[in-house]
This record gives sequence, structure tokens and C-alpha cells, in this order.
Amino acid sequence: MSALDLVSALTQLVYVVIFLSVATRAVREPSSAHADMTLFFGAVAFIIVVARLAAVIGPTPPWLVTVEIAILMALPYVLLRLVDDFTKVRSIISRAAELGLAAGIVAAYATAPTLPTPVLLYIVAYFFVVSIYCASAFIAAGRRSRGVTRRRMQAVSLGSILLGTDILIAGLTPLAQPVDRAALQALQQLLGLGSGVAYYLGFAPPSILRRAWQEPELRAFLARSASLPRLPTTLDIVRELEHGAANSTGTAARIGLWQEDVAKLRFWQDDGTTADVEAGQQLSGRAFELQRAIFSTDPIRDNPDAAASYRSRNVGAVLAAPITAGERRLGVLILTAARPPIFAASDIELAGLLADQAAVILESRALIDHAARVRAREEATRLKEDFLSAAAHDLKTPLTTVVAQAEFLERRATREPTAPADIAGIKRVVRESKRLAGLVADLLDATRLEQGRLVGEREPVDLATLAQEVCGHDGGDRGVCEVQANAPVVGVYDRRRVEQLLENLVENAKKYSPQRTPVTIRVWQQDGEARVTVRDLGIGIPAADLPRIFERFSRASNVDDRRFHGMGLGLFICRGIVEEHGGRIWVESEIGKGSTFHVALPIGDGRRLN
Amino acid sequence: MNDLWAGGPDPGNKPRSQGAARQHPRTEGHNDVVLVVDDDTSILDTVSAILSGEGYDVVSAASGQEALAAISRELPVVILLDMRMPVMDGWAVARALRAQGSTVPIVVMTAAESAQRWADEVGAEGFLAKPFGLDELLSTVERFRGPGGRRN
Repeated sequence: MSALDLVSALTQLVYVVIFLSVATRAVREPSSAHADMTLFFGAVAFIIVVARLAAVIGPTPPWLVTVEIAILMALPYVLLRLVDDFTKVRSIISRAAELGLAAGIVAAYATAPTLPTPVLLYIVAYFFVVSIYCASAFIAAGRRSRGVTRRRMQAVSLGSILLGTDILIAGLTPLAQPVDRAALQALQQLLGLGSGVAYYLGFAPPSILRRAWQEPELRAFLARSASLPRLPTTLDIVRELEHGAANSTGTAARIGLWQEDVAKLRFWQDDGTTADVEAGQQLSGRAFELQRAIFSTDPIRDNPDAAASYRSRNVGAVLAAPITAGERRLGVLILTAARPPIFAASDIELAGLLADQAAVILESRALIDHAARVRAREEATRLKEDFLSAAAHDLKTPLTTVVAQAEFLERRATREPTAPADIAGIKRVVRESKRLAGLVADLLDATRLEQGRLVGEREPVDLATLAQEVCGHDGGDRGVCEVQANAPVVGVYDRRRVEQLLENLVENAKKYSPQRTPVTIRVWQQDGEARVTVRDLGIGIPAADLPRIFERFSRASNVDDRRFHGMGLGLFICRGIVEEHGGRIWVESEIGKGSTFHVALPIGDGRRLN
Repeated sequence: MNDLWAGGPDPGNKPRSQGAARQHPRTEGHNDVVLVVDDDTSILDTVSAILSGEGYDVVSAASGQEALAAISRELPVVILLDMRMPVMDGWAVARALRAQGSTVPIVVMTAAESAQRWADEVGAEGFLAKPFGLDELLSTVERFRGPGGRRN
């Protein structure tokens, strides 16, 4: 037995073994894909067995040769049917292939057993063209799919290329020089062996190989899953879970989450819209209601309502698995593929595993969210308590003077009615009462600000004129405040609030300029915004305090004057006024050199409607 | 007490330097000195006016540092100490006093709800919770008045 004979025998043995394997499977799990696979490998096995028998018994009768040719010619057509079992083949191509097959068989019958060269060439060309079409269809299907499915499609397309080339060489061998024929035959045998193995692995991969092909994606998904609960939004998590499930199963994946408020499963589409499904409706709702996986090999029959959607998305198989954490029904995982054979029986378990993993991740997310909500509530309560406590503390300071001084004045007026009035004492009561009134106003503003209703009715306001007015308010201090403005800067604002903003900033600037250095307000327009700066040459703000300076109750650590706006609400209110107008406020400061507060307010089109 | 006020300078307007702080001799001897420490000048002026009217010599300090400077010159019968002051707060003043070996009783003045706890923290003899009334202030300080207004 020569080496060539050995290769030939091995190839034939492999085909027969593959035939037996797929035939067994077709009997156990009948489906059109399994039937086509059995036909495909059965045809090859038949030809092999007949050839082997002929070698033992004697020459093949002519009718059998014709049958052999017919079966051989049917091979690429069966392959085309297999393409249709895994992906979509347009019916015009199927009809053309059927016609070509019929024509070939008729020609073979008519000319048998001589088989003139044109007929032979036609058969070879037919075989080659259909094989290459199948190969390209599988390559396209492989590019569209991922994970295990992509690898299967790649194996199948390799098989088709090898088969097409094999037949081409077989057809050309009789035309070659006799010396080359032996080598060509050897090549033919090798290509045949390769295509057989590639087909088998692609069409019906043994479960161990299937698992190995799934493993890289599954492993990557599991490795990544621990970090998923910390993604910014639940939708981000859903997308990652869908991606991981799709890659791990080699199908398309969608996750629907149960929405308690509307009692529906919600799916997030790629176009940003959502689709809701009621429990018990569609395949997803049924899997959710029954709390078990549903596998549909004919979703259009099983769920006619969604037929149009299945057709347009080329969905020919659906696997739906509920996502459940203990008693809590969280949602459902939907895997879809063009054709049922993309799925294997083990994929139902895999889908269950992926759904369980999704449940763990979503449940962790829910716990994280819950903890965050509790923390936020506690923080809000603490802030409210802090606010009340700080407000009470700051109100009590002027109140101390008012109460004690008023009582003292009362006693004095009672005991010594004729004594001259204690003007200084009365002034203190008046001053501290006003201070109290100011603090109460600030407190109310801060409360309004929190509800976002600090800013009221708006009207056109010229900031340059307003700045002049604010500068002139404090008669005695006229000299230390000046305005720099070249032109009116008019925007639509709440006049009273913007005036309060400028007053707060100017008072702040004066307060922290103990040497009575000048305060400068600059007003101008820039990049479609109204810009105002209030600059002082005072004590400045420590860099560490800058980030908090606009927060409630924030006061720079070097501030030792707690007399005016003592609650640290002034800049908090300023920020509120600016932000409710849709603007920005920030500060630049250097210790010992002064501070510049910047305000940018929208002009005209930046206005929000009340 | 009519004579105390007739023609006298307004207590609220008096300069806060310790030299001028002692006023209105009540007896022919020395009056009890009370040191008032608060960064709020209105409270400082009010408390000074009230206590001066009652015949105490009041030394007022607007900061912790001023308080420590005053204590080395004066011998007050009691210190009324505000707790929340910038730079040097009430706790720092109390610590510095004890470190100097001073045993002058302290009364904590505060608007915070934790007045009692803070008083305990600095080893104070008592506390005045802001806002306090006239009688509260007077009866608290009265506890520390020396017999016959002697100088400590």
C-alpha cells in the first residue's frame, strides 16, 4: 500500500465516521440542519463505499456511475441548503442552483457513461461556483457573528473553500499530464480530508470543542463582571451584560428589566427608545412569567405578534431565560440567532448561567444604589440639622445683645426715669435687631435657593448702571468703590436678585479690605456673555478654602469678622442667584493681595423662561 | 444707683483698654474685676455696660490673645469666655491659662447647645447660654464677687 493509498483510505474513513456521527445525531435530534448534514456526508460516504466495493467486486455498472454523478452533483446543492440552515440564502439563488443541478444530471444521463469533456467541465464549474458561493456566504455569516458562532462559520467556510478547490482539481486532473496526475490526486485527497474535518467541526462541533470555543469570551465576561455594578448607570450595566452574553454564546443578546412601577419588562433599543413587554406576552414575557428558559426554533410561529420584527432582524431562533435573584424577578435575557442550529442544547444551560450572573450583578447594583440612597438621606438629614444648628447659633449672637441690652435699658428706665437716654445702648439694640433681620432674610433666601425659586420675574437690566447704583449705596464709602464700564450691558434678569448679588460681593470685598483699599467693579460683554468682576485688594482667601467658598456656611479660615452675613450664606446665595440665571461664578484670590470674584451671565438668548 | 450714671461717660462707648476699663468706684476700696472675652463687639459692649453698672471693673477682650495679655495685668474674679472665636478659641485660652498656673474661675459663654459639655471640657465653673438675660448674667457673676469687693 502506497502513502497515497493510505491517505486516500484515511480520508474515506474520516468521511464515513463523520457520516455515522451526524446520522446518529439526526436521529436523536431531528432538524433540517441535521438532515442536510446527514445527506451531505451520506452522499460522500455512499460514493466512497461504492468505489471500495467496486475495487473488490468488479467494475461499476454504468447506471451506478450515473447515480454516482447525480449524487456528486447534488453535493454543492446540499451544501447550499446547509448555508440556508445557518444563515439566509436568497430564494433566487436556491432556484438557480436547483436548475443547474437538474441540467447537470440530465446531461450526465444523456451522455453516460462516456461523459464528454464539456459536460465534465460543466459539472466541475457548477460544483466550484456553488461551493465558492457557499464559502462566501459562510464568511459573511461569520463576520456578522461573534464568539463560538464566528469560529464555526469560519471552519465551515474553510471547508467550502477546500471542497471547491478539491473538485476543481479533480475535474482538471484528467486534463493534466500523466506524470502530474499522481501528485494531483494526492492533493485532492488531502483537500478532501481537510474539508471533511472542517465541515464536521463547523456544522456539528463536539461539545468539548464548542465549550473551548466559547471559553475565551465567557472568561472575559466573567472577569469583567465584578466591576460592572459600579458602572455609572443601570443602562451601562445592561449594555455590558448584553455584550458579554452575546459574545459568550455567539448570538445577539438583549436584556429586559422588570419595571415595578408599570409592571412591564423594559428593553432598551439601540436607537435610544424603549420597548415594554407585559408578563406572559411574547417569548420574553412568557419566560419571565413561567420563570424558566424558553427555546423557540420557530419564533414566528411561537410569537406571531412579533413576526415582522423577527423577519426584519433575520431572527430564526430565540432563547429566553429569566433573570432572577432568589425571590426577586429582575428581568429576562433574550438570545437570538438567524437559525436554530446556531444554538446547541448546552446553550440553554449557558443562558441560565449568564442570566444568573446578570442577576448577581444587577442585585449588587441595586444594593449599591440602596446604600447610596440611605447615605444621601442621612447626609441630607445631617445637613439639615447642621443648618438649623448653625442658623440657631448665628441668630443667638445678635439676640444676646438685643435681650440683655433691652432688659438693661428697661431696668434703667424704670429705676431712673429721669436719667438721660443711653443712646449707645439703644443704638446697639437697633443695630443688632437689623443684623437679626438680615440673617433671617438670608436664611429664607437660602431655603428658597434650595427649592430653586430664588429668582423671580425678569426684566431688561443694565448691569453697568446697576453696578453704579450698588457702588453708591453706602454713602460714606463712596470713595472706596468704583465702576469700570465702557458701555451698557443689558440682559434679562431678576433686578432685585442681581442687585443683591452685586451688593453681597461689594460688601464682602469691603469687609475683607480692612485697610479700606478700593473695591473695583468691572462690567463688560464678552463671547455673548455679560461679565462682571468685583476686585478688592484685601486679605485674600487661603487656597485651601477656595473650593468651598460658595458652599453653605462656608467661611474662609482667616476671616475674623463675623459681624455681617455671619452665617456664611452670602456667597452661597450669590452662587444661587447666578446659577438660577444660567450663569457661572468663580473667584481668584491671593493671600494678602486681594480677591477677584468673576460672574458670567447669559445675555438674551441664554434666558430661561419662567 | 442714680449717681452712677449722672454725667458719667456712656458705658458702651468707653475705650476697651484695661486702663480705662475700671470705672465707677463702688466703695473706697478696689472693685472686683471681671474679664469679658468675646469676638462680637456688641456683646462685649453690652456685657461691659451692664456689669460696670453693677459696680464691677470690666476688662474686655475681643480675642483670645487680648484675653491672655489682659490676664497677666489684671486679677479678675471671673472670666466670661466666649468659645467660638477665630484664630484662638475659648479652649485655647483656657488651656493657656491653666498652663500659666492661673486658677481664675471661667464661665463659658456660648450660643451652642453643648454649653454644659464645653464648660466641663475647659474645667469652667459654669456657663451662660446665649442669649442670656440681665438677671442670668448678674446672678452668675455675683457668685464670684469677693467679700466687700476685695482685690484678689
